[in-house]
Amino acid sequence: MSRIEAEIAAAPAASDSAGWREIWRKEDWWAIWLGLGLVIVGYLFFANGSSIKWIAVTPSRWSSAAQLAAHFGDNIARYVAQFVLWLAAFSLALTALGHRARDFLPSFVFLYLLSVAIFSIGQWDQAASYNLEPPLVALVLGLVLSNVVGLPRWLDAGFRVEFYVKTGIVLLGATLPFTLIVWAGPVAIFQASIVSIVTFLVIYLVAVRLGLDRRLAATLGAGGAVCGVSAAIAIAGAVGAKREDAPIAITLVILWAIIMIFALPFAAAALHLPAGIGGAWIGTSEFADAAGFAAAQAYGGLAGTNGITGTSDQAVFAFTLMKVVGRDVWIGIWAFILAIVATTRWEKTASGGKPDIAQIWWRFPKFVLGFIAASLLVTAVTSGYSLADFNKIVTPALVAPLKDLRSWAFIFCFLSIGLTTRFRELASAGSKPFLAFTAGVAVNVVLGFILSAYVFAAHWANLTR
Amino acid sequence: MEGRFCGACAHFRNDPAYLEALFPGLTSLASADASVRGDDGHCRRHDRYLGAGACCADFQPNRADSRQ
Repeated sequence: MSRIEAEIAAAPAASDSAGWREIWRKEDWWAIWLGLGLVIVGYLFFANGSSIKWIAVTPSRWSSAAQLAAHFGDNIARYVAQFVLWLAAFSLALTALGHRARDFLPSFVFLYLLSVAIFSIGQWDQAASYNLEPPLVALVLGLVLSNVVGLPRWLDAGFRVEFYVKTGIVLLGATLPFTLIVWAGPVAIFQASIVSIVTFLVIYLVAVRLGLDRRLAATLGAGGAVCGVSAAIAIAGAVGAKREDAPIAITLVILWAIIMIFALPFAAAALHLPAGIGGAWIGTSEFADAAGFAAAQAYGGLAGTNGITGTSDQAVFAFTLMKVVGRDVWIGIWAFILAIVATTRWEKTASGGKPDIAQIWWRFPKFVLGFIAASLLVTAVTSGYSLADFNKIVTPALVAPLKDLRSWAFIFCFLSIGLTTRFRELASAGSKPFLAFTAGVAVNVVLGFILSAYVFAAHWANLTR
Repeated sequence: MEGRFCGACAHFRNDPAYLEALFPGLTSLASADASVRGDDGHCRRHDRYLGAGACCADFQPNRADSRQ
């Protein structure tokens, strides 16, 4: 690497990330256009005395195959219309992002049909008895199909985990009162910051102590402390990591994220944690948004059973506040600080370029803006309703259909996690990175539990009440 | 050195499809289309993953720039 002489002074102040082109070249913006577009259309229908609930169809509760068959028989046109809506919206976005729509079509047909099956299983009245939580069923089914059965590579075109989860998060904003973000956001940021900083330092210091390169240590640390694979990639670029560093972090994040999808809801249920506390713990201790939503939604599905108090919404809202508001939005600042450290302390002549404060904005996860805008919009247009009228008029005609569309987006996401995770193709991480990352996982889980279940327990248990 | 940055170098690749193929598992829980990536990419000359704004003595203008 000695040949690389970063000519810092000559480096341009901005890259292609700056400027308006980003609004059609990044999936974060497309998640905003799609999610916010659906919210606005939903509101326009609602304001004119109608609703989008016709197209937001979901399988209804059933106890026999005949009931389920009758439901699909009665509603087939609605499912076809919904499929076309999703297909058109995602095809438009992915084409703008440089993907080929003709590759996406067969893949999305496959994904949508599997999603209908997963959704239907979740609506079986005996599903809870067999722990058939849709997020977990989707993940397991996806993993089996990709790792045991095997799927052709071209099918990956429709398995856009990150795009689906971001679209779902924007839609989720429409169901979360803005006042709740304002009220609970600061605590989420405070708790998440404590855990993120401690987790990063543990991973980084253990990695350095084990003799790993500092850029790899920082990449691992960000992956465990901030927002998983996305953070690892962002920090790898900011510090100018070796090409093999990012795949090591990706492997470890995926491994632990998938373990935590099952372990955290299981542990929270065993401890009978209220839904809000469980969601906050998952938001503090899961590594990636998509994996965390799977865990939080699975735990939310257990609310009201087995001594778990609270509601499904509390688990999902607490998770969202902790993960999205508390952790994700700071990735640009992490990247900027670590870029400064990399160029001034670690490797003065071989950096990723001159640190530019503008990267705080470039790297900002823009979909969060859509999440907040959706929350603001629905909160503002429904502020004139009393609670009783809101529950009677607004919820069934506006909020519930948006929530149903969100559920579809999340199921696409959960299935896609499994369908794209091929364990044999992941890079070998090595024992030292594994030990360093695992040390951070252990500290993260314990600290996240203490903060969620003890220090801020009352806050999270009473969320939305 | 005006204009001599990785984003304009023949050794640098940062298109999402290339990066998603380069990093196994990237699409499982993330995406190369995400804002957090910025325009970071892979220097094939030095096998580093770094920002498009970096530069080094091995800079070679890419073909698009050469035609201009």
